Amino acid sequence: MSDISPETNPLDRYSRQMRFPGMGKAGQQKLLASRVTLCGCGALGTVLANVLVRAGVGFIRVVDRDFVEPSNLQRQVLFDESDVADNLPKAEAAATKMRQINSTVTVEPVVADIDRTNIEDLTRDADLILDGSDNFEVRYLINDVAVKHGKPWVYGGAVGSQGMSMTILPGETPCLRCVFEAAPNPGDVGTCETAGVLAPTVNIVASYQATEALKILSGNLAAVNRELLTLDVWENTNRRVKVAPLKGRKGECPCCAKRQFEWLDGAHGTQTTTLCGRNAVQVSHRAANRLDFDQLAATLRASGAVTFNKFLLKFNVEEKGDPFEFTVFPDGRAIIKGTSEPDRARTLYAKYVGH
Amino acid sequence: MAIKVQVPTPMREAAGGNAEVAVAGATVKDALADLVRQYPALQSKLFDGGKVRPYVNIFVNDEDIRYLDELDTAVQDGVTVALIPAVAGG
Ligand SMILES: [Zn+2]
Repeated sequence: MSDISPETNPLDRYSRQMRFPGMGKAGQQKLLASRVTLCGCGALGTVLANVLVRAGVGFIRVVDRDFVEPSNLQRQVLFDESDVADNLPKAEAAATKMRQINSTVTVEPVVADIDRTNIEDLTRDADLILDGSDNFEVRYLINDVAVKHGKPWVYGGAVGSQGMSMTILPGETPCLRCVFEAAPNPGDVGTCETAGVLAPTVNIVASYQATEALKILSGNLAAVNRELLTLDVWENTNRRVKVAPLKGRKGECPCCAKRQFEWLDGAHGTQTTTLCGRNAVQVSHRAANRLDFDQLAATLRASGAVTFNKFLLKFNVEEKGDPFEFTVFPDGRAIIKGTSEPDRARTLYAKYVGH
Repeated sequence: MAIKVQVPTPMREAAGGNAEVAVAGATVKDALADLVRQYPALQSKLFDGGKVRPYVNIFVNDEDIRYLDELDTAVQDGVTVALIPAVAGG
């Protein structure tokens, strides 16, 4: 047995962190007693999960809709080839690694798409919400739920060599909609697909986010960065632009000033999401009951190749010479590869999965 | 000396590949008009029906123009106007 057995002195493993004056033993004990919901466990999310679990955040809920793919391994630090071979959902694969890193904290994996129907349940007991997502639909939802319930959250974004991060302390700082009024269209700003992404970009952005998380959870709110951090690792720029005076946008911010939670209430948001970095669209459909994969597989085998495990079903089919790959989840959600057009994806979904 | 406009990566192709463009003008509005005059392809990247696209934020020397005088914010030679769109991926 190793000599870092958790039974001997549970705080020993955090000795270097506790020696840091801003943290101390008191800060460490706050971390151990704190709860975080991590929304998304891809590039940003795996870095966040890695830092938080090592730091001793007592409870980490990891929510992700995806499964591990070969193209993730370049930057998604908790995953390896065996996770790809085993077709594991990211939340499950991450939880396994996180428990190996630190068995003394609680990790709760949730394989689900974050949407307006589940985000309040997923964040209700959290002291802090962390953005490990890759799209603005989820970020505006997080922003709504965070402002509504007065919970801090930390935005992070990364494309190419560019990154951005902002900490939202509801009531104290501008919210995401104070600063960015509307979501960019994927075609108008870079996506991971068009611009690519360097691992250091996401590592650095997520490391800033993680630092903000440590400040908030250890009770060091005065140290929080209240401006918008923007950086480019290739062009050697790193600056904080001043956004603090945008708070509430003169009473006009729909979210934090008028308390209209448009994303949470369903005024915004769609049933399809074009996925960053892939020629793929996600179709969300709230099934009343979990799908029966045995039955679905039997139906689909007439049209193409089908494999499934308890987490997901894969289905390959050709239509008019175009190959498509469906990944279907038990909750009725599907990721359709081979198109980036929401309408085509919706049609394919309706044709093969139903409704 | 002129006003420097910093062009974000996703708009550079429309700006002849430039990361920075020297422009002239007395307000942010004038400066952007000069930018678009030099690189007309930027028009649709920056504006939607005469309004700045809602995910593009404009900073004059690191101050957001929305708490200054919006597009009427005064600029002079030597200032930096940064166009900063939201970063989506992750
Ligand atoms: Zn706001």
